[in-house]
Amino acid sequence: MTDGGAVRVELRDIVQEYPRPDGQGVMRVVDGIHLMIQGPTILMLLGPSGCGKSTILRMMGGVRPFNAVTPTSGTVLIDGQPCEGHHPDAVMVFQKYANRPDLSVRDNIGLPFRFGLWKRKVDAAEARRRVEEAMAAVGLADKADHRPAQLSGGQNQRVALARALVTRPRILLMDEPFGALDAQIRSDMQELLVKMWEAWRCLIVFVTHDVTEAITLGDRVVVLSTHPARIADDFAIHAPRPRGEAWLRTPEATELGQRILTHLRQAKASGQVRVTV
Amino acid sequence: MWNPHEPLDASERRGLGATALIGLVGAWSLVSGLEMVSKARLPAPWDVGAALVHLAWNAEHQTSPLAVAAGWSLWRILQATVAVCVVGIPVGVLMGASPRFNAFLSPLVDPLKSAPIVAVLPILMMWLGIGEGMKVAFLWLGAVVYLVPMVRDAIRAVPQDYVVQAYDIGATQLEAVVHTLVPLARPRIFDAVVVAVGIEWTYITVAEYINADTGLGYIIQTARKLSAMDQVFAGILVILVLALLTDTALRAVKGALFPWETEA
Repeated sequence: MTDGGAVRVELRDIVQEYPRPDGQGVMRVVDGIHLMIQGPTILMLLGPSGCGKSTILRMMGGVRPFNAVTPTSGTVLIDGQPCEGHHPDAVMVFQKYANRPDLSVRDNIGLPFRFGLWKRKVDAAEARRRVEEAMAAVGLADKADHRPAQLSGGQNQRVALARALVTRPRILLMDEPFGALDAQIRSDMQELLVKMWEAWRCLIVFVTHDVTEAITLGDRVVVLSTHPARIADDFAIHAPRPRGEAWLRTPEATELGQRILTHLRQAKASGQVRVTV
Repeated sequence: MWNPHEPLDASERRGLGATALIGLVGAWSLVSGLEMVSKARLPAPWDVGAALVHLAWNAEHQTSPLAVAAGWSLWRILQATVAVCVVGIPVGVLMGASPRFNAFLSPLVDPLKSAPIVAVLPILMMWLGIGEGMKVAFLWLGAVVYLVPMVRDAIRAVPQDYVVQAYDIGATQLEAVVHTLVPLARPRIFDAVVVAVGIEWTYITVAEYINADTGLGYIIQTARKLSAMDQVFAGILVILVLALLTDTALRAVKGALFPWETEA
């Protein structure tokens, strides 16, 4: 594992509207998002719950919710090519990790290789090698034959991360993946993610509503306002990773945290923002 | 007492179940023993026991009429079950996986659930004659109309998250059906087959009324013609026990096949 290579994702004037629940007209959830992302990098997409950040994230991989047209208008370009439908270079990690209850940890991680797309690209021996390697990298080598029900939430999220990485994605889209985990486990997972990224540098777009998580992980943080989602702020963080407790107490970190919070308050967020500093 | 989630230990559960059974047999013994109802209408439990012994071994022909009959009934049910699965599971999967297939087939399938299957028997006799084929076909028809909708529902009950994930890691729609929906629906499909077998047991007597020379339904039918109520009861009892045994056995098989289903 070395490098996912350079990759460019571009959002042009993205608008997303959904029909109102009462059937009276439409509701604009995302309004005119312009964003140029150059990978490999870790970009954090931060905003209050329900601000539409997951919707934006899904567009980047061409993941369409059932029965919905997304985006309503605007274009998503991956390396200059319009992205329509699932993009093979992009993989998502969800908060609901959806590990298969009927399969072992090993088979869950190797799941992509059951499908023709990856069978054609990766031969069986290489697939097996990648699965063993990813399983060891997330620290689950001794749990290879366990089933998801026998694992903790953190371990299950490791399985999901390993499954995403066996396909060697150039774009890794993470939708609040650690949101349901306890604080300690979450910080372990953040550390693991940074380690994995050092080994396989790709473009990670990471959605969170946790300010600390955003400044701990990101090379760049994009703050979204809500109702509808617009870009409220966009800045880079140059501090080296891993950024531990000590860094979080530095003036730089506190200032960044304050800066984000100010934006979120201005956005008159009706959703929730979590601060765990 | 009225908390539906109250844990009961095994001995209490069995005790309560046994009490109900003993109570029934006790009341039955009382009513028939005191001849409150004539024996021709309600034979006593011991008469039914004697009838069971009588049917269990025929010394003259050196054979067990009951075992032969039960064997034939089981064989017919086995054939029908295989045919029900071969047709019902694929059709149910197609309907569950594709709203178009469902819209296409549901007008044919859904009304049949409430159709009077027994009334179809004369038609089956005209088409298939009165041999073995008709009997198995009747059992098949009675069960398959239930199996198909249940398999469809089993497929639909698979949480959408798994399908979204399968698409995300490269599955085509068809691959998601084969590698995600069907494997995850297996336990519920298996449950549907267990129900189908139960339905076949309820239809077995009807299937064996027509031109059978053996089978549990035939025993009951013959006994009824001879007004041997004790043998009618004995036949029904054997069907109940066999249905219960196949059900228990199939549930044990399910536990062994899908251990992940019962894990927390």
